[in-house]
Amino acid sequence: MATKTERLPHEPTNMQLVQKTGQAFCLDVFLWFYVVLASHKIVYEKIILGLRYPDFHWNQPLTALGVGIVVALALFFTRLSIGKACFGLYERDPNYPIMKEPFSLLGVFILIITIISGVFITQISIREFLSESGLQGARRIFTALFQPNMAIFEAALFAAIETIYMAFIATIAALPFAFLFGFFAARNLMADSKFFFTIYVLIRFFLNMTRSIEPLVWAIIFSVWVGIGPFAGMLALSLHSVSSLAKLYSEQIENISDGPIEAIKATGAHPIQVVWYGVVPQIVLPYLSFTIYRWDINVRMATVIGLVGGGGIGTMLMQYQGLAKWNEVGLLVLVIAAIVWVMDYSSSKIREAIK
Amino acid sequence: MLEITDLQKVYPNGTHALKGVSFGVNKGEFLVIIGLSGSGKSTLLRCINRLHEPTSGSIKFEGEETITKRGKELRSLRARIGMIFQHFNLIPRRSVLTNVLSGTLARTGVFNSLLGIYSEEEKKKAMEYIEIVGLTGKENQRADNLSGGQQQRVAIARALMQNPKILLADEPVASLDPATSHSVMKYLKKINEELGVTVVCNLHFLSLVRQYAGRVVALKDGKLIYEGSPLEIDEEWFQTIYGEDAVEVTIN
Repeated sequence: MATKTERLPHEPTNMQLVQKTGQAFCLDVFLWFYVVLASHKIVYEKIILGLRYPDFHWNQPLTALGVGIVVALALFFTRLSIGKACFGLYERDPNYPIMKEPFSLLGVFILIITIISGVFITQISIREFLSESGLQGARRIFTALFQPNMAIFEAALFAAIETIYMAFIATIAALPFAFLFGFFAARNLMADSKFFFTIYVLIRFFLNMTRSIEPLVWAIIFSVWVGIGPFAGMLALSLHSVSSLAKLYSEQIENISDGPIEAIKATGAHPIQVVWYGVVPQIVLPYLSFTIYRWDINVRMATVIGLVGGGGIGTMLMQYQGLAKWNEVGLLVLVIAAIVWVMDYSSSKIREAIK
Repeated sequence: MLEITDLQKVYPNGTHALKGVSFGVNKGEFLVIIGLSGSGKSTLLRCINRLHEPTSGSIKFEGEETITKRGKELRSLRARIGMIFQHFNLIPRRSVLTNVLSGTLARTGVFNSLLGIYSEEEKKKAMEYIEIVGLTGKENQRADNLSGGQQQRVAIARALMQNPKILLADEPVASLDPATSHSVMKYLKKINEELGVTVVCNLHFLSLVRQYAGRVVALKDGKLIYEGSPLEIDEEWFQTIYGEDAVEVTIN
């Protein structure tokens, strides 16, 4: 039942309008700064003038920023502001095609500049791709890869088993921590009091930090710490699994229905009992599914981590590749492909079965 | 046994759900609260067992002020008040028996309840209540596999496990078909008459109200506008409560 003072949900307040306008202007300034800088430094200096080492001074991006602010300000009141378009500040006729709007054309122009700069920076070269010596090298490696050396099959199999176990233990070791952090990182459980909300923010920050560092980097750190081998790889995978699983777990908790929680609370249950009877039964199966999926991912990552000294089949691959023994590398690639396929297939079947 | 005085509730988003509601509930009666959706019925029930925090006012339960209670005191208050819900709110993937036993959580130790250890006495009592709501033989089935009416009866048995002095029912039949609605209402009536549990129930349908209510209060826009016998609600009152355009729908 709506009272007269109630606002419609899509109608923004003045405060929101000011905030949106600010954000739109910042986006415009950034885009114009980017256009000026990219077209001058890459399109003009490198491509048109063909300079190999153009001068760089810090006053160049500063000038670009200045120009960006001026241009953005000047065009903010025309229909050329992408920021205003993104934040829905333009009044639009829904029948008029959006691609004919000036701001859309500007967007296409920025995209074209980016593609041109990108092609140049990536140093795409058809000549290199089709050069005689290059093709010969590729042919040599491919022939060797397709004639795998079966003599090391046994050793490869043992290394593969090491990889699978390492990934399994990494997942298991991550479980209790992820389980615990999952609750503390769930907004709906933590928003009740200021104290718990602070914990929530801290845990979220910690999880985001550890997750944003690649397991590859962790593996390098741990291989220095505990020595090259599967233990280092396991620690790296474990750490990354804690933060990824905790995030998935907490999102699952945020999506559960409030009904059973309310009902258990109404019986006079202790908060711990509320979690155990109201929350846990709703999350067990999704948790199991995430965990199996994580094991699958960990097996795949474990091979990559082996390349930097994390043990298992990846380390073996790195050694043979370093010696340019392509027939052995061919066999290892086959074994890795087989493991990944089996893990992928069985994990998706298991996850389907427990849904 | 329940005395509500000038109860106010303002939600954080500014909605003024209850604007000074006062009424009493007598021991052993079957009180029905009627009103449109959004009139504050659910909020009112949830303020009684403090699932929602009242903004101001007083709720006296058996002579004790409830709205200042915290922690352990609050949990023991809730244990004495049973509640059933529109969407049953059973624990999914758990058996009927486990669901009914969860009504004893307040007196089962935290450690025992984590391990699922309940005394034989409690189990026997749970089986008795399952029998009372007519679900004997289904105690080991998963609760979420039962039909709506059966789930609501499991919820009633769970509430009874608390040995409640009073049972709050928030739209107990709103998501059930007419035949099942009557069966659930009959169980509530039975509990009220045979076990002597006071019932406070939110209802939509006036025909159910006339059949089951001992006394009626009506809410509109967060205010109490009617208090009396269900038979005194005539056409005029009906339109005051439900608005000019309302037409009465009966379910038989």
